[in-house]
Amino acid sequence: MDAASLVSPVLRGPFTGRARREVAFCVLTLPFGVFIPLAGFFATADAGLLLGSGPPWVADGNPSGLAVAAAVGVAALLTVLLVTTGAARRLTAACRRLAGWLLGERVAAPAPLPGRRLAARLGDGPGWRALAYLLLKLPVMLLELYAVAVFWGAGLANLTYPFWWQSFRNHPPGAHLSAVPVITPFDWLGQGHFTVATFPGTFAAFAAGAGMLLAAPWVTRAVVAADRRLIRGLLSPGSSARRLADLERTRALAVDDAAARLRRLERDLHDGAQIRLATLAMNLGMAKKKLGGSGAVPDADAARELVDAALQGARDALGELRELARGIHPPVLDNGLPDALASLAASSAIPAQMACRLPDRAAPAIEAIAYFCAAELLANAAKHSAASTIKIDLSERAGRLMLTVADDGRGGADPARGSGLAGLAQRAAVIDGSLTITSPPGGPTRVTIEIPLHA
Amino acid sequence: MRIVIAEDAALFRAGLARLLEDEGHQVCAAVADAAALLAAADEHHPDVVIADIRMPPAYTDEGLRAAIELRQAHPGTAVLILSQYIETVYAARLLSASPSGVGYLLKDRVADVDEFTGAVTRVAAGGTALDPEVVRHLLAASRHAGGLDTLTARERDVLALMAEGRSNAGIAATLVLTLGTAEKHVASIFAKLRLPASETDNRRVLAVLRYLQSL
Repeated sequence: MDAASLVSPVLRGPFTGRARREVAFCVLTLPFGVFIPLAGFFATADAGLLLGSGPPWVADGNPSGLAVAAAVGVAALLTVLLVTTGAARRLTAACRRLAGWLLGERVAAPAPLPGRRLAARLGDGPGWRALAYLLLKLPVMLLELYAVAVFWGAGLANLTYPFWWQSFRNHPPGAHLSAVPVITPFDWLGQGHFTVATFPGTFAAFAAGAGMLLAAPWVTRAVVAADRRLIRGLLSPGSSARRLADLERTRALAVDDAAARLRRLERDLHDGAQIRLATLAMNLGMAKKKLGGSGAVPDADAARELVDAALQGARDALGELRELARGIHPPVLDNGLPDALASLAASSAIPAQMACRLPDRAAPAIEAIAYFCAAELLANAAKHSAASTIKIDLSERAGRLMLTVADDGRGGADPARGSGLAGLAQRAAVIDGSLTITSPPGGPTRVTIEIPLHA
Repeated sequence: MRIVIAEDAALFRAGLARLLEDEGHQVCAAVADAAALLAAADEHHPDVVIADIRMPPAYTDEGLRAAIELRQAHPGTAVLILSQYIETVYAARLLSASPSGVGYLLKDRVADVDEFTGAVTRVAAGGTALDPEVVRHLLAASRHAGGLDTLTARERDVLALMAEGRSNAGIAATLVLTLGTAEKHVASIFAKLRLPASETDNRRVLAVLRYLQSL
């Protein structure tokens, strides 16, 4: 990597749309971090006032036990109210939308607020997580404020020093002028604060401002990243809700897949065996006509030719039906997956070796899925890879079946290009499986399917 | 007769052309999709068009739609639909668009060469040819609409043969009746289905349509 390619993103950093959007996010979500402290402050203050002793923190000496108890009680009541009224959810929904709009952090909304009953609402997981977000937003918000106010705000201000210096500092010589402070990001450490008193000094302020602005987008990105994590973790549907959504999605895939397979089967029958048999029947009908009703055959040559055609048609139809039946369920699969894969490997267009370390048999449905995945991968390799050998590896790891098909071909397999790999990934996802592809351009290609042994 | 064939399965198309030519008909064109069928019909003005229902590009009912369009554009061209499936809705659509000069048979029927060429001739002469399978579906379906439930078993048999497109003489021969008895059954069906004699409507087809509409 050369120097230019490192420097240019740094120089362009402050001017990117992403930087602008992240700053906007920090500014717009600032009130959400302020909300809980403010609510807590007023609630405890009110509790103190109610008891006639003033807020606990202004009371003389140690606050009375009663005042503390009242403050804690009010805070607890406030917490419960925030959750049960759905206020926490509504506040964070705004955050979630802003994150989606400005940060591209698209998080699904949790399931709607449960029922009207208090018990149901008290057990509202997403509501409590929303509250947790509002609490944790406070420190994150302070960091965001720091990034925006100091790095962007003060950085910009520092840049301006040389421009206004001459107009305001044109007092006659000898006038005593105090130095002007320059804000730096390190002020809060008690260091780095410096002042300028002369025009050339303003260039130091300018340099500091420029440095702060160059750093600003990266600092903002870092603090916003923390906010993103919070949003992903706390404002998304809970893990069981996500699981439910996953299951719904994969079930839809399974239903579509089954329907598509039946449609394909009907189509194959219609365009294959069925029309062949209709043609065969037609040929036999014509042959019968040529053979005549009885006695001498009027047109023996034509009849013979038609019977030949019918015979050929019958063979073709049988062949097609056999292929079709095998496509539905290969009989060798009843012997177990290793045998079925071995027979698949034996008939592969590219020489295939097979290694099997599978101690137990998987469920029949799993075996069938693994078999058809392997068949599809072998067909893919034969079509696209230009490989000279293929290795099929079947093993078990932690109750999951691992099927790897690797070739030494030219690689570049990409599920996005519709090579059937996306379909395989979907089929695996239906049974909580996964598909891993490594296929750099130039090869080799290695596809691993991991599925549970028992669905 | 001059015939145009539209069928996307090449083997079946070639066999069908040969069968018809062996029977002394002239196959003007044998095409593979509905658009080519319409073009060939415009060019050759055939007596009969024999078309598959499911053809490229969408493999749904383009053959049927082309057939209906064709009957409207060329009233002199009869249409015989051949299909691997019999759908009564398709039969109903075909007959309501054009109650004469149309037929709908399973492809299997081609195996009986004489039966099949008979159906082709019947359709070309302005008659109808409905597959016995369609008729069976119809008879198995609701018998409660439009006076159908008042028919006797024998009248049902006669109506079934009428639906296949047979003449009174054909019905008499098939059911081993005298021509007079067959005619009496037919007249009784018309009466029970309240189909008065008229110059403009083909009562035989209307009777069949009554069946189709009762589904």
